[in-house]
Amino acid sequence: MSDVQKILVPDVGGDEVEVIEICVAVGDTLEADEGIVTVETDKASMDIPAPNAGELISLSVNVGDKIKEGDLIGEMKAAGATEEPASEAPAEQDSAPAPESKPEPAAETPEPAASSGSEVIDVVVPDIGEDGEVDVIDVLIAVGDEIAEEDGLITLETDKATMDVPSSHAGIVKEVLVSTGDKVKQGSLVIKLETNSGAPAAIEQPAAPAPVSEEPKAAPAPAAKKPAPVPHHPSSGKTTKGNIYTSPSIRRIAREFGVDLTLVKGSGNKGRILKEDVQSYVKYELSRPKANAGSSVASGEGGLQVVASKPVDFAKFGEIEEKPLSRIQKISGPFLHRNWVTIPHVTQFDEADITDVEAFRKEQNVVCEKQQLGFKITPLVFIMKAAADALRAFPVFNSSLSEDGESLILKKYCNIGVAVDTPNGLVVPVVRDVDKKGIHELSRELLEISKKARDGKLTANDMQGGCFTISSLGGIGGTAFTPIVNAPEVAILGVSKSEMKPKWNGSEFIPRLMLPLSMSYDHRVIDGAIAARFTVHLASVMSDIRKLIL
Amino acid sequence: MSNDIKTQVVVLGAGPGGYSAAFRAADLGLDVVLVESRETLGGVCLNVGCIPSKALLHVAKVIDDAAEMASHGVTFGKPEIDLDKIRSWKESVIGQLTGGLGGMSKARKVKTVTGFGKFTSDKSIEVEGADGKTTITFDNAIIACGSSVIDLPFIPNDDPRVIDSTGALELKDVPEEMLVLGGGIIGLEMGTVYNALGSNVSVVEFADQLVPAADKDIVQIYTKYNKKKFNMMLSTKVVAVDAKDDGLYVTFEGKNAPEGQVRYDKILVAVGRKPNGHLVAADKAGVNVDERGFINVSNELRTNVNHIFAIGDVVGQPMLAHKAVHEAHVAAEVIAGKKHVFDPRCIPSIAYTDPEMAWVGVTEREAKEQGLNIEVANFPWAASGRAIASARTEGKTKMIFEKETGRVLGGAIVGINAGEMLGEICLAVEMGADAEDVGLTIHAHPTLNESIGLAAEIFEGSITDLPNPKAVKKKK
Repeated sequence: MSDVQKILVPDVGGDEVEVIEICVAVGDTLEADEGIVTVETDKASMDIPAPNAGELISLSVNVGDKIKEGDLIGEMKAAGATEEPASEAPAEQDSAPAPESKPEPAAETPEPAASSGSEVIDVVVPDIGEDGEVDVIDVLIAVGDEIAEEDGLITLETDKATMDVPSSHAGIVKEVLVSTGDKVKQGSLVIKLETNSGAPAAIEQPAAPAPVSEEPKAAPAPAAKKPAPVPHHPSSGKTTKGNIYTSPSIRRIAREFGVDLTLVKGSGNKGRILKEDVQSYVKYELSRPKANAGSSVASGEGGLQVVASKPVDFAKFGEIEEKPLSRIQKISGPFLHRNWVTIPHVTQFDEADITDVEAFRKEQNVVCEKQQLGFKITPLVFIMKAAADALRAFPVFNSSLSEDGESLILKKYCNIGVAVDTPNGLVVPVVRDVDKKGIHELSRELLEISKKARDGKLTANDMQGGCFTISSLGGIGGTAFTPIVNAPEVAILGVSKSEMKPKWNGSEFIPRLMLPLSMSYDHRVIDGAIAARFTVHLASVMSDIRKLIL
Repeated sequence: MSNDIKTQVVVLGAGPGGYSAAFRAADLGLDVVLVESRETLGGVCLNVGCIPSKALLHVAKVIDDAAEMASHGVTFGKPEIDLDKIRSWKESVIGQLTGGLGGMSKARKVKTVTGFGKFTSDKSIEVEGADGKTTITFDNAIIACGSSVIDLPFIPNDDPRVIDSTGALELKDVPEEMLVLGGGIIGLEMGTVYNALGSNVSVVEFADQLVPAADKDIVQIYTKYNKKKFNMMLSTKVVAVDAKDDGLYVTFEGKNAPEGQVRYDKILVAVGRKPNGHLVAADKAGVNVDERGFINVSNELRTNVNHIFAIGDVVGQPMLAHKAVHEAHVAAEVIAGKKHVFDPRCIPSIAYTDPEMAWVGVTEREAKEQGLNIEVANFPWAASGRAIASARTEGKTKMIFEKETGRVLGGAIVGINAGEMLGEICLAVEMGADAEDVGLTIHAHPTLNESIGLAAEIFEGSITDLPNPKAVKKKK
């Protein structure tokens, strides 16, 4: 009755791909679309999913194998076709007084040997050749999984390689004690496993040197920085620093240097943190390259290994004049430089058909003049509105990387900076809540703020809080340029001079006014495809501004 | 006469926390003014608390020990008690210590202003003293205004026969029948004194054990030892006190309540202490005080107002002098620009009763509540040569270890001199010592203190002074 199905490699968008990871083991019960193996192409790695839910009965590939479309990966028994108990369990439990929504793992899997000396053992991280803690980047098993000896449990990433932690025994996973993002080291508890052989638990366990404590070690913000007024009623017996193995004097030294002791490796007896450990930690931190200091990502090692430029005596070649940089240039220069070297920039080009919006704008300006409103509507205002609409549709553009580079901060407000050329240099005043304001209001505000900018009267407040920046050179000329992202924002829109171009409408060429768009973005945050969609969306709104009210 | 003073640091209250803060700040080069309502420094602790009670407990211990000697072949006569002399001896103890503090204060050039200080703004304090008002303008303030005893509403507090710990220490007379309301540390200590002086002492406690913060097994040993000394009424409360000419008639309610009214000559109310946060007009400085009177502080001891600090009883439990002193040092050091914080791993607690009860770090109950994986090692003093020779074998030493690492998480001792022995466990917890460290440290023999090393050996499985449950099992 068992309905065995072959699992074949689907279209993987390439010739041969390499298997870099086996995610499951024979005997595992798989969900439909659960990854079976991970393959790597020259572009990306991807999981090959299970076509249906069911139990995996064989696997024909190994890590390192090259496979292509149509190759056999393994075989599985479809769920429901067998005595797969998971789906039946609830029915059987009908008579039970309180049927649980989740059947107990023990009841889920038929376990022939379970009655004869099954035992729950701890499986820990073996010697991984690393002294410190490493990141868990993947958890390959779940509670209830039946696993074989040597099956991968979790994937670890060190600075050298990624590796799977194999199971020391076969059995059923009773409890998973780590999750993706945790840090583990040799001896850390990974899972509790119910073995079917009654293997002696204690012997197989390497003497675990202080398993990783449950305290949230990953807490990124060093508590030393701000004396947040935490209400504090010290009661005897509460350990404030968890399991850090050191003495009060060392805790005080660490506090004075702002050292997070959870990051310091103890060299004393049994891993005790000594004064020297704190000192060498501080020394090491101070000696690290500063190139990335101040970047929006946590500074890493390396820095820019460039040769220093040689001084050149320009006067040798002709007459020169030395003129100091303007105040704004002096201030903005280092920031532009930092943004250029620390943010992986990509610039997406596109064109927006603004024939209709321009016609509309000119009509409205006649009205404005008649009503003596005191301002003119510029194309920029429509671009701002279109950008606000695109930011709403693609929230990742309205974000910033967190200070530690571990998460994304999405903003629920929409403030757009507008680069303004002034006699003193480039400034970027910010117009707030663009999404909530009308064309007239924005036009008036833009007029005011540009005047303020040219008069050099902008305050710091006027230039803070931007989510996205528009730099328009359309009034001058040019077909495209690559603007620099204004960190901590993640994208900037450059606008060049619009031009009448012949466009094919399906039967003939018609003249359309086309506006060139150049959008640079932070590739750490934004993928190419979504960037293309963003500019397409923006251009489409510009081509028909009725879409703004959709 | 009005007086104006400007200073870098003003300390409000001269208890152990206050004077320690003032002295530490002065030693760090700051200009300090210390405000205290009492004529002498030292606060409750020195004047009407820790120290005078220890003087009287010493008297009680000698009386009890002398009586105890009769069964070992030395009989003293019935003690003759001269209350006036005991009292003046107690006063001399206080005088010696407060006098010493006054001298140290002068030597450090800490200016003392006597009177009750209250904030008038976040930069000034006004002190009402016997000889007029003093206005102190300050850069930083440390509030160390302490706590006071809790009164119960249904008790005739105006009756001179109802006393608190201060009244008990005054030692006006030795009542025949005395009721101690509250089975905490203070109540039991004073009960011990009056019992030794000849009173019949009853203790009533609402909880089902005396000293509820300590572990049950520790308190049980105390309770058993004192069964004959005190009439203990646990899980019981006082519901009414009727003051008549011939005594105070008390009605009880609860599990062990006696029927009808019981007559007492004196009632000692020792149900706890409340913080004095509301007494210093902290609101004028913008400092938040919660409804119970506590002032919340950061681990730098800062209140919500950046340049105003608070330490000691007024910032929270436990209300203990040694906690206040350490907080005081941190507050003074932070004001002096040091990056220090108050982050102890443990704060010890001691009941100076007979036998003493002392504990530190996590208790067994707390460990259970926190889900810690612990192993407890008990060393019974019946196996201690020193305890047997002192005829005090009721005690025990209990160590609480983290099971996996053997790290010392806490400990408790009940027995004579328990309080003096506790320091070793405090140090072990702070240093992160494990059972092996403690067990391999050679403890002098014969001492009561060696029981700590022996408890560690029980955990380690290397104990030879007791049957060893972890010994290798031999096949017969």
